[in-house]
Amino acid sequence: MRRDAGCPRLDHLLSRRSFMAATGAAAAGIGLAGALPAVATAALVGKQKRVLQIYLQGGLSQLESWDPKPGTRYGGPFRAIPTSTPGTHISELLPHTAQRMHLLSIVRSINIKTGDHGQGRLFMEMGRRAGAFPYLGSVASRYLTPASAELPGYIHISGRGLNDNTSAFLGARYSQLKLTGPEAPPNLESPAGVTAEAARRQEEFRQRISARFASRGGQPALTEAFESSYSMADKLMQRQSLFEQEPTAKEKERYGEHDFGVNCLLAKRLLENGATCVKVTHHGYDTHAENFNFHLEQLGEFDRTFSMLLDDIYDAGMLDSTLVMVMSEFGRTPKINQRYGRDHWGTAWSIALGGCGIQPGAVIGSTNEEGTAVADREVDAGHLFHTYLQALGIDSYSNHDLGGRTVPMGDPAKSPIKELLA
Amino acid sequence: MLRALLVLTAVWLTLAVSPGRQISQATAATPLHVQIDQLIEKAHPDFQKMAAPPASDAEFFRRVHLDLVGLIPTAAETRAFLADKAPTAEKRSQLIARLLDSPEHARRMQYVFDEMLVERRRDSTVADAEWREYLRQSFQQHKPWDQLAEEILGADGKELRPAAKFYLARNAELEVVTRDVGRIFLGVDLECAQCHDHPSIDDYYQRHYFGINAFLQRTYLFTDPKTKEKVLGEKAEGEASFTSVFTQESGETGPRLMDLEAIPDPDGTEKQYLLAPTKQQRGVPRYSRRAQLARAMASDQNRPFRRNMANRLWALMMGRGLVEPLDLHTADNPPSHPEVLELLTDALLEQDYDLDYLLRELALTKTYQRSSEYSGSSPPPAPETFAIGLLKPLSSEQLAWSALQATGLRQVMLEAKIASQEKQNVALIAAAKKQAALPAEEPPGPVYEEPPAPNAPPETAAPLPIDTADLRWQEEVLHEAFQGSVNQFVTLFSEQAGQTTTFQAAPSHALFFINGTLIRDWLQPQPGRLTERLAHIEPPAALTEELFLAVLGREPTADEATETVAYLATVDDQKAALQELAWALLSSAEFRFNH
Repeated sequence: MRRDAGCPRLDHLLSRRSFMAATGAAAAGIGLAGALPAVATAALVGKQKRVLQIYLQGGLSQLESWDPKPGTRYGGPFRAIPTSTPGTHISELLPHTAQRMHLLSIVRSINIKTGDHGQGRLFMEMGRRAGAFPYLGSVASRYLTPASAELPGYIHISGRGLNDNTSAFLGARYSQLKLTGPEAPPNLESPAGVTAEAARRQEEFRQRISARFASRGGQPALTEAFESSYSMADKLMQRQSLFEQEPTAKEKERYGEHDFGVNCLLAKRLLENGATCVKVTHHGYDTHAENFNFHLEQLGEFDRTFSMLLDDIYDAGMLDSTLVMVMSEFGRTPKINQRYGRDHWGTAWSIALGGCGIQPGAVIGSTNEEGTAVADREVDAGHLFHTYLQALGIDSYSNHDLGGRTVPMGDPAKSPIKELLA
Repeated sequence: MLRALLVLTAVWLTLAVSPGRQISQATAATPLHVQIDQLIEKAHPDFQKMAAPPASDAEFFRRVHLDLVGLIPTAAETRAFLADKAPTAEKRSQLIARLLDSPEHARRMQYVFDEMLVERRRDSTVADAEWREYLRQSFQQHKPWDQLAEEILGADGKELRPAAKFYLARNAELEVVTRDVGRIFLGVDLECAQCHDHPSIDDYYQRHYFGINAFLQRTYLFTDPKTKEKVLGEKAEGEASFTSVFTQESGETGPRLMDLEAIPDPDGTEKQYLLAPTKQQRGVPRYSRRAQLARAMASDQNRPFRRNMANRLWALMMGRGLVEPLDLHTADNPPSHPEVLELLTDALLEQDYDLDYLLRELALTKTYQRSSEYSGSSPPPAPETFAIGLLKPLSSEQLAWSALQATGLRQVMLEAKIASQEKQNVALIAAAKKQAALPAEEPPGPVYEEPPAPNAPPETAAPLPIDTADLRWQEEVLHEAFQGSVNQFVTLFSEQAGQTTTFQAAPSHALFFINGTLIRDWLQPQPGRLTERLAHIEPPAALTEELFLAVLGREPTADEATETVAYLATVDDQKAALQELAWALLSSAEFRFNH
């Protein structure tokens, strides 16, 4: 009875652990017999696929968004409205998104069995309930970014929050580049007085000293990670202009001038310029009090801006190759508390996704009449993680090949939502 | 007695090998560091074949400075050590003793334990400065680990307020605190055992989690309504019970540490208060379970507590734990060298939890003093063999202080501080002499003086001259002077609540070195700084040597010397060329790691 689900299985932990401290031994080629084949990176990079991840931080209420229950005990004051997918209704707080639902799908039957912000977020990002695994963005960065990419593979735009360790055993090269807003990251500009010639010259000398050091040791993965931080820095410096474009009047009008609007506009630019995974965090959904007013306000920002971004990706012909996800760390309790709030709820909630590899217009699973439990097709973040990877053309049953040691990409105990895959 | 102790304490983590105590008894006369080396070497049949040679004096000198005092040595110090003709073993062991005795060592330990216990959480309920000063003082006084841990876990935020940082930085949140007591003090991450017996680790049970939880569940965060000060209150009732989310089986447990026996509340203490909890005042029970946790944790019966620290100190020095990850001690994840871990665990008890004793013995091992350079033709040995020296990324503080040292900023600041203090000293001595020259108002003779009342404000005596040769004073003024700079490194290079030990290198780190004003400024050729000093050195070969010794702690290779001289020859602006070269070395992988 003690072995059914949940935490990472020990074989994963062990392969992680032997790798983590082993980083250097990567070259040693101490392989595990019978390991599954690693992902064929080369096959993927030809047709670059991308990820747009919108993270509604704090826990979006499924009842005020993708799974409304108007007229029921916990339904709250808002109506459900029809969408561009016949038969699918979503909350009236998302009128613009509703008109684009034929591009998206909904999963309404998520149960992650946790109501903890940190645990929920990690589970949704890693597809594992615990342990140190790479986030989806780092996995995308690792396997989808062409060698010639001119931007870091995983960029996260968020006004606040911690600098997570997103890449785990994949190494720092694939961890997120965190931007706090549309401004260029700090120290992007060369200081006055340093000529391009001097900068090149000293960088060459630096590389020579570094390379000599790298060649002497038994831990190439560490020195490699260090060097890649310099090459990524260089790429960013080359693309400084991306951060200097003033939005046009029309862009301002369409995306809005609030933080989420300007961040999404930057996300669009980054995706158009070859970034592999761009994540935009919209803060402020942890509505323990005044859930309805806050959702009215928050989703007002989200709905229009997200719809504009979706249109632009579609119009640029990129939606077929861009996986679009709108997710949270959990949903919100059906029960409305004394402060008109809804609390943390991982038991029965929803996300929306679409684009690359995803069947549009689908609704997966359902909750019961009052939204207090999953009624049909229960899934958790492990299933979702498999689904994202499969949609991106990555075999989620294959392994990360860590120089001979292997770690399964998705939790082997879970599977993708097949009916959602195009 | 010892036997009984062993049986009692080694239950939950039964290892396949014979316990260490037998070994240490059998070879009591053999120094610990020799025993460690023997065990490491015999763990692999062809160890000698795969092991790296001993580290050179320069490699060792830089390494041991970073590990024990938290920054690289100066060029002059390295030169002196290389020139010292004393036998290698002798001069190295003298160096280790001297470093462990230095004020910088207490600071280094302060940094290490701050990061370990608070994990870079941003918290202002207990001022960082007070907490860190408390840690530093503790290490300066060589406070044993059992005592320090007992103070920290027993703290209530009133008496010895800084010690309560561990709880208060986590807002005394029960789940967080329970988990972190397990992880940080016992080396067991019971997170998954919170909702059900651990699905994959056979010896982590839900009752383990709730055993720790039971010590802490009566504790709560209390904010004084008037002063707004946050302290810990505690109730005198409440039991820990749990239900598995999988099996719906439930259980109850009293406070207990892993498989040690539960500690029952004494009869008649239920609902008994010294201070009854109200909205206005925190609760203080007659019998505190939190105080019991502190006592039970630091008790000699609690072997996992020492084993955890032994493993953490090993990881600090050697670059990875004998058990790795550090918080996953379980029978399914055995140590790479079980006997070594048991040996160190025993040594901690025998030496009364003296951390410096263990650090010294570790630094003396051949294992520690092995080169990180691997030149064999076959693939390098696995890290867990400890057959080559492992790379250790510098911590934020090590990086900051080493950059300050390499650029000469630290030395310049020290000299400035000494000069200014000496000036003040002259004035103070003059004033004192003037005072002494005045005729005494009362005839000298035995006069009875009331002892000062214990709470009387201290007399505002004129400041005394300060001995500027006092190393502790020097360390303190430097620390204060560069706090802002060090914080900049910490903010950029550290991650909050990080549980992995993987090396993180982000483009923002590189940009900080490439374009940041701080490093650029430190490389400006101002009096006494590296780039200015180099400008006065002739010939170029001597200049190159000084550059490499100052930044990388070693002499340049022949190729490097040639390349450096060529670099200087191709650039017209010599000042700029020196800054570029110093920058290149400072920004290289070699500088970034302790190797």
